[in-house]
Amino acid sequence: MKSRNEEKKYMPEISKKEIEELRKTIEATSRKIVAENIEKMKKADLNRPKGMKYFDEIADFATREKEIRASKKEGKKVIGYTCLFAPIELILAADAIPVRVNSGWYDASKLGDRVVPVEVCPMVRSTIGAKMIALSPYLELSDALISVLTCDGMTKLGEILSDYKPVWAMTLPRVKDSEQSKRLWSEEIKSAKGQIEELTGNKIKRKQLKSAIGLTQKATKAFRRLQELRKGNPVIMGRDAMLVNQTYMWDSIERWTEKTEALCDELEKRASKKNWVCPPDTPRVMVTGTPMIWPDNWKVPTLVEEANPQGVLVADELCSGERLLYDPVGVDEWSMSDMLTAIAERYLMASTCPCFTSEDGNEDRINWMLNKIKEWKIQGVIYYVVRGCMLYAMEYTRVKKVLDGIGVPVYYLDTEYTREDVGQMKTRVEAFLEMLSARIDI
Amino acid sequence: MIMQLLGEMLKLIVLSGLALAGVLVILIWKKGLATKVTYLRFLVQAVAMVAVFYLFTYPVWQLIVLIIIFFLPLFLGRFFCGWLCPFGLIMDAITLIRRATKVRYRLLPNKLNKFLHKFRYVLFLVFLFVPLVLFLLDPPSSFNTSFLLAMLLSGPFEPLRILVGPIIPLIVPWEGPLAIGEVYFSYPYVQEAILYSELVFSDFLVNIIAGIFVLLTFVGSFFLRRVWCRFCPTGTSIAAVNRFKGFKWAPLLHIDKDEQKCTKCGICKRVCPVQVTEVYEQKEGKITGSMCTLCTRCVEMCPYEGCLKVKIGGKTLFKSRNWLETSTTE
Repeated sequence: MKSRNEEKKYMPEISKKEIEELRKTIEATSRKIVAENIEKMKKADLNRPKGMKYFDEIADFATREKEIRASKKEGKKVIGYTCLFAPIELILAADAIPVRVNSGWYDASKLGDRVVPVEVCPMVRSTIGAKMIALSPYLELSDALISVLTCDGMTKLGEILSDYKPVWAMTLPRVKDSEQSKRLWSEEIKSAKGQIEELTGNKIKRKQLKSAIGLTQKATKAFRRLQELRKGNPVIMGRDAMLVNQTYMWDSIERWTEKTEALCDELEKRASKKNWVCPPDTPRVMVTGTPMIWPDNWKVPTLVEEANPQGVLVADELCSGERLLYDPVGVDEWSMSDMLTAIAERYLMASTCPCFTSEDGNEDRINWMLNKIKEWKIQGVIYYVVRGCMLYAMEYTRVKKVLDGIGVPVYYLDTEYTREDVGQMKTRVEAFLEMLSARIDI
Repeated sequence: MIMQLLGEMLKLIVLSGLALAGVLVILIWKKGLATKVTYLRFLVQAVAMVAVFYLFTYPVWQLIVLIIIFFLPLFLGRFFCGWLCPFGLIMDAITLIRRATKVRYRLLPNKLNKFLHKFRYVLFLVFLFVPLVLFLLDPPSSFNTSFLLAMLLSGPFEPLRILVGPIIPLIVPWEGPLAIGEVYFSYPYVQEAILYSELVFSDFLVNIIAGIFVLLTFVGSFFLRRVWCRFCPTGTSIAAVNRFKGFKWAPLLHIDKDEQKCTKCGICKRVCPVQVTEVYEQKEGKITGSMCTLCTRCVEMCPYEGCLKVKIGGKTLFKSRNWLETSTTE
């Protein structure tokens, strides 16, 4: 009889043989899907930027896995995070590797059904399933996980994963601009700093933190440059840009910045030559809603850009996309406490996650979208929600009201972690794009 | 006599015109480098301090100062406080020393800060009436009513001089108690502190009181950025007009906010040296708080291009930039 501490709180007992079998089949499909998605992206833009080659490579999980394994042997620690509220700067300052461990595998979500009911957010189920069969290399390699208590799914996901790894839960206040929330979150950031220092054995000093902040600021700069380029006629397919953003979640941030800048250089040249990836009158679409995680959950961008009539994604409001990097850490004075405050505020106050509310509701998100629509000249918004994603689903009504007011069509696309509804979704997306291009013609 | 006075005034006008032109040249020259507003401000403050020194060498300086205090602010708000005030320069210099020693500044609790916003009006009245009361308690021997107005301006207690207090530069062109060789030093309000306490205390105590005031403001501005600006009577009088809704049109120079570009990241609130919250709290449009010294630190630090703007009469002087890179678009 096992003691209660050793027993897994949530995970069912599965035989090793079954795990191996499942792992083999799902990993094989995963590899196939990665290759297939990249192949599709290459086909969509025959004259694809050369800078994308690097991102194609890093999108393959095995590439980065090898690197992380090598640096782990050198004694580096890996810290995973489930939500973008985890203070990456602190992880970097302690000379550890930050990786985001959310899972996008459709097949793994079916395994998650053994632990939690199907009503639960499929991303959470998929992450549980991935852990069950040790599918995600990043989740397996991480020494500890930072679980930020944002939505309900994320809150319990941390608890379930604590069966395997130390999980540091960080309480995120739901009202972001009050003084007491700021105090609470600052304390959380400070305690996270202590935990990171304890795990890595490196004390986070002023200098390290400053250079870590510099790193993420440079990444933000590169990212903003890419976004700026998408303002005009499309020079890059939306999927390609989304892949660039995605890889930030697990790539070495320094190298990512370098490669993104190189990609931007190339795109700038193309823009000056008026070398567009699709006709300039292609409907410009923004997606918002539930995060889309590489590799499996790539169906919406693929559908939009391969539909007939074609659409092009020029912006997104996803926490797996632009929100990762849009806001920089703004430090007034480079003292330790000021940097910590700046980090705390950057994660808490600048975020437009729908888990927040306040007197005027989550108005920041609306403003963010309105700004995007104006500056990026967006003609239609796809509001993407997976079943079980309560917060995004509930905010739809408000977003629709506002967008109706300014005459931008918004389409509610609800789906699941499954490939079965691709055909049906294709019809829906095409109908929406048809309507958009009809509006443009008028 | 009159010709002499006119000549002096002409000199002054030329001098202030030169100073203003200098400021404008610097502004235009630096326009592409709005991220360095802090350094630009230091430069302007230093220029202003020299200009003030020269103003004080002329007998009609009070007139100029009164114009600065009562006329210009109607349109420029507390621009004077943020960019020209010598006392502000002293406090900013102390802040630089603090930054070099890596000591973190303290913040006043929001409630206390809000209370100070109201309390400074009380303080302003006290500052204004104490000299009057003292004047009445100890009237000069040759007293008549027509003399009163002159006394208000330049009599022994000079109630209006309290408003000139912070404008006293560090080096003064008149003889004072503290001197190294031929150079006389002074400090804002010290003359007034000495003048008023002389009535009650002995010379020794007077010097101690003045010393305590200097020490207090030094220590205060070491831990709190721009500590005196929070209850400065001059600043109060400057900004009083902006408190009224009917005068919303008046400030030509003001900060403007674009709601859609704002993500409420809170940087503007955090970097403000006088802890103004209006820039963060107000959703959009003209921001005309009576506390804002228009130092434009928030505009400098706002990371969203075009979210905050400094406007003068509807024309954008400069706007917040994506300070991660030096932008080429204007």
